[in-house]
Amino acid sequence: MAVTTDLGAVPASTSSKGVKVGRGRTKMRLLQLLTFVVALMVWAIVTFTGLISPLALPSPIDVGKLFAIAVISPEYWLAVGQTLGGALIGLIIAAVVGIPLGLVTGTYSVAEKSSRLLVDMLRSFPVIAILPVFLLIIGSNDRMKITVVFIACVFPIFLQAQYGAQSVGSMVAETVRCYRIPRLLRFRKVILPAATPSIMTGVRLAATTAVLVAVGVEILTTLPGVGHQVLLDQINGNTPRAYVFILTAGLLGYAVNFLSELAEKRLLRWRPPVQS
Amino acid sequence: MLWLPVVVLAAVFISSSVNASFYLPSLATSLHAMWTGLESGTLMADLWYSLGNLLAGLAIAIVVGVSIGLVIGERPLLRQATAPLLDFARATPTVAFIPVIIITLGIGSPPKIFLIFLGTLWPILLNTIAGVASISPAILETARSYRIPFRLRFLKVVLPGAAPLIFAGVRIALAVGVILMVVSEIYGSAIGLGSFILQSGSSFRVADTWGGTILIGIVGYVLSVLLVWGEYLTLGWYFQRAPKTGLRAEPRAQPSSPAKPASELSISQSKGTP
Repeated sequence: MAVTTDLGAVPASTSSKGVKVGRGRTKMRLLQLLTFVVALMVWAIVTFTGLISPLALPSPIDVGKLFAIAVISPEYWLAVGQTLGGALIGLIIAAVVGIPLGLVTGTYSVAEKSSRLLVDMLRSFPVIAILPVFLLIIGSNDRMKITVVFIACVFPIFLQAQYGAQSVGSMVAETVRCYRIPRLLRFRKVILPAATPSIMTGVRLAATTAVLVAVGVEILTTLPGVGHQVLLDQINGNTPRAYVFILTAGLLGYAVNFLSELAEKRLLRWRPPVQS
Repeated sequence: MLWLPVVVLAAVFISSSVNASFYLPSLATSLHAMWTGLESGTLMADLWYSLGNLLAGLAIAIVVGVSIGLVIGERPLLRQATAPLLDFARATPTVAFIPVIIITLGIGSPPKIFLIFLGTLWPILLNTIAGVASISPAILETARSYRIPFRLRFLKVVLPGAAPLIFAGVRIALAVGVILMVVSEIYGSAIGLGSFILQSGSSFRVADTWGGTILIGIVGYVLSVLLVWGEYLTLGWYFQRAPKTGLRAEPRAQPSSPAKPASELSISQSKGTP
């Protein structure tokens, strides 16, 4: 049963107004915009009534002004680039390592059963708790950020590749075995394409995680990037500017997720909709 | 099928004893440090403090998240209108709010609980919405045609129907919560597992740092096992397991059927449908 949390699609069953698809979509976009505006207004009201101190929650106007200033300054884009760079490299390494391993464990149940306990234990390990020991071993540099991002991203990708490899239909698998198709060719032509939808979902999940973890690492250690800027601004008491960077981090994660969804829809057009 | 973890553990044990360096003490030393800390009671007190914060924050997040999620999930219009806003809120790193919260709410338990609540709210909320959306329309229409009263419908139809995805969300929230539990104790916290690790790290008591990290790993794993167990007991009706035989893995049933443990589902997986 497909879970229908599709963004912007007209509700299939309940629309009693019979709107045409085009107009329905615009209406949905307008409603979503309205929700944003309502949220902004709630924010503004809360700050104006002074319920929360301006040190904690600055008014949206201040943040907006500083945002406009920041967007045209090069150091803003430098911070964004540093965060994105670390996140991206960690993600790519995680994909390179996780996808083959996941495909192998998905295909051979022996491998899956042996590795299940280990993967479960490693997966539930809180990634950021390793930061202190990593600081000691690797030191405070980009390599550490990439390593932590890698550890955080490899497990979703691994698991999704595993599910994808397991979703090869039994008839296909047995036909391939009957024809004694060599192993490498089997992986390349049968298992990998069958697993691609799951892998794309995994990469999309991991991409958002990568940005989150990269920002988290920057905040906790003093590596340069968006997170570091947040910390600096907080320490200097410049809370509105800190919020500019917090919002930037959120926008980055959202944009990465959006782009991944677009890429997924493009790349998987050849496939009928399959969940996970 | 325990051979692989045992082999890996043995390999790590041996290699760390042989190649013990300053920053990578042997596994035996770290475990010993952890054990003495637990025995002397200080580490135990830290552990209880952190765990208490975690569970309190998680409980509040579950209550708030499930209630709001049930309300939003009920109305498709509301669901789709708030979808981008909630996605954006989820993408914002909670870690970034730590300095703000410390400055305004100070140090002590409540700000930590608030931070954990902030971070764990989103997976639970989003998964509850997805869970309500995943209830078959036939069920909802049957409930409506029998004119089942509102409160009964929520308790007996909507909540159990959304329960598998809610549990999946709680599992994700637990992972996030454990991270936030550690991270919330960075600034000026005297007790707590996270502060123990960080203080040991900065005073170069390396064995203690590793010992604390291992303890956190064990705690995280035990909590997730408990959650899966509770899920298995509560959602017994949901799980169907097919027997697996032979070298080749029997492919699991169609992805849309609930043969996969519900904890492996996640809301973003559901968005894979174009």
